[in-house]
Amino acid sequence: MKEGFRQCMAWLHTWSGLLVGWILFAIFLTGTAAYLRPEITTWMRPELHATAAGPAAAQAALDHLQQVAPRSPSWFVNLPDARQPALQVLWREAAAGRRGFANAWLDPATGETLTARETRGGEFFYRFHFQLHYLNVPLARWIVSFCAMMMLVAIISGIVTHRRIFADFFTFRPGKGSRSWIDGHALVAVAALPYHLMITYTGLVTLMLMTMPWGAEKAYGGDRAAFTAEVFGTAPPGRAAGRPAPLTAVAPLLEAATRHWQGGSVGRIAVQHPGDANATILLTRDDAERISSNPQTLLFDGTTGALLASAGDTGGAAAATRGVMYGLHIGRFAGPLLRGLLLLSGLAGTVMVATGCLLWAVKIRQQALKRGRIGFGLRLVEHLNVAAIAGLPVAMAGFFWANRVLPPGLAGRAEWEIHLFFIAWAICLLHPLLRRGRQAWIDQFAAGGLMFALLPVVSLVTTERHLGVTLAAGDWAFAGFEFGLLAIGAALGAIAWRLARRRPAAAVAPQRRQPTARLAAGAAE
Amino acid sequence: MRGPRWLGILSRCIAAVLGGYLLAALVAIGCALWLGPPRAEAVLVGMLLSFAVHAGAVIWVFAARSARRAWAGLAVPTLALGAALALTGGLP
Amino acid sequence: MIALSLALAYAGFTALSLAMERHHEQAHGHRRIPAGRRRLLRIAGWGLVAASPAPCIALAGWGDGSVLWCGLLTAALLPLALLLAYAPRVVAASAVVALPAAAVAALLGA
Repeated sequence: MKEGFRQCMAWLHTWSGLLVGWILFAIFLTGTAAYLRPEITTWMRPELHATAAGPAAAQAALDHLQQVAPRSPSWFVNLPDARQPALQVLWREAAAGRRGFANAWLDPATGETLTARETRGGEFFYRFHFQLHYLNVPLARWIVSFCAMMMLVAIISGIVTHRRIFADFFTFRPGKGSRSWIDGHALVAVAALPYHLMITYTGLVTLMLMTMPWGAEKAYGGDRAAFTAEVFGTAPPGRAAGRPAPLTAVAPLLEAATRHWQGGSVGRIAVQHPGDANATILLTRDDAERISSNPQTLLFDGTTGALLASAGDTGGAAAATRGVMYGLHIGRFAGPLLRGLLLLSGLAGTVMVATGCLLWAVKIRQQALKRGRIGFGLRLVEHLNVAAIAGLPVAMAGFFWANRVLPPGLAGRAEWEIHLFFIAWAICLLHPLLRRGRQAWIDQFAAGGLMFALLPVVSLVTTERHLGVTLAAGDWAFAGFEFGLLAIGAALGAIAWRLARRRPAAAVAPQRRQPTARLAAGAAE
Repeated sequence: MRGPRWLGILSRCIAAVLGGYLLAALVAIGCALWLGPPRAEAVLVGMLLSFAVHAGAVIWVFAARSARRAWAGLAVPTLALGAALALTGGLP
Repeated sequence: MIALSLALAYAGFTALSLAMERHHEQAHGHRRIPAGRRRLLRIAGWGLVAASPAPCIALAGWGDGSVLWCGLLTAALLPLALLLAYAPRVVAASAVVALPAAAVAALLGA
């Protein structure tokens, strides 16, 4: 009976993992990249130089908005921080509908407008990670939620299946065929098990208002807005009075906020009805300062500067739990060291998913070779493995290349960067039709490695902010990012090199494409 | 398991995905209505728990000896919760 | 301080692995571990791992500190497993060196 349970769980582990493995791989890798969202965005807008942000930045932003959008119903200011040194202002176009937003980047010191190339930057990976692209957003989020649930099931059934967690805790035996794949898969899974469980469950939690709204529907009689207002303490904005009144100075409000949050700083300013007697100013605390992502906000009267309301300072245990889970998932609170560890754990998760997909193919191929017939299912899985695992890095590199190569004035430039990401990925999906088996892996890893490694060179040719300048100027964030790109290129290249050099152990067998040789890839990662 | 193997698997998949979701949703509603006050807290507890319930249901469905047992094991708590919710006015 | 946490976890894991026959053989060439040494390795290993969260929590508090510690466990385990696979002879030495080095670094940093 007990053995039967383990076998059931092994079956469940295999199929729940394989069925969504390729999407999960993409979710994990782009999600890991999203830990560096501000850094990626900074790199993709090389025109925006880091300048020292002073306390005057907020006032400069509001003055700018007063000039360009005096009649707008709402303004937003994203204040610069250590990771994103640019000052961004957004405003709702008075004439346009609900979604008509315009935005600009400002120099935090002078308030002057900066022009930068149009790009989605790291935001693309962040968004893709939970809502894919080209798809209807709710549908895509449901797909991702479904995959996350499968992931949770795969983790639980995997723990049950893996009967020797402690005996095999430190075990990795390279060069032993499918045994090595199992070892590698279990090692990255166990080494970061708390992370995998945390990131999967909290991932489900981030989308729970959409996927599990039934309790709120029932308890609030269908009034969703009342629920969110009660949880997050955010009231819908009031109406404009129709009488003009000048906006109060913002600096004293920022000081009051810092006092209120005991040293915490403001990350975002939202102004409703600027220039009206009923104007309000909402200050939101920088979410990098605490684990919980439940926003802490202060609402001020826009003309008198009087404090009207505060929210997020206290809250129930469940709301706090949700906030911490959400915050843990997006990892904005993490300092450089913890961010590095999150990246490592995210990569471990990515490798876990990849080795899981490969493991299935390795096992089935061994069985197929014994029977002397390779079925369509195995061919399909092997093909998709190449396209997903080796192809996605190529697509990501393609996205970065597009950022550097597309002309700055191109219409729809930001969208074209994304189109090129998918075009590169589509090529990787077709490529294994022409180059079979191991050769497809080698080609794609080599291509990805080359594309990543050449990115700093492309920067050198196409921008004025390349390693020659950044190193000399001590622009470490920017230079470090390019060294990171080089390192990724070197790692992908090393995988390709080992795959090409290391002939399979069973080269004498009639099958030349022995999956054991791919072991090197897993080990090198 | 009677019938072809794939039929049993299909049946279990439906039980796991739809049946498990239904049970999770009922647990979420139950928490929202029976826990608390405060209401918002009760709702959130239900939401946060629901995914563990769903995952547990999936594990049960595939661990059960037969598809029929899997369905039965899922139906009992679902119906019980549904009945309790109906009696307390939680369901239309 | 964080390096000390990492070194404690790494040294603890190393001791625990060397108390296991499979890894003892990798590192020392034979499977037989004297009973006394095995017990010592086990106790030292668990003790070091149990002590490893302390510097994290002292530095970053319970919330951030425990998250940090979980990440550090991953960062300690992965290189150890790779080292056991590819360079088992240096495993024991690496732990012996890592611990005092991290302690000195923590003292200098404090």
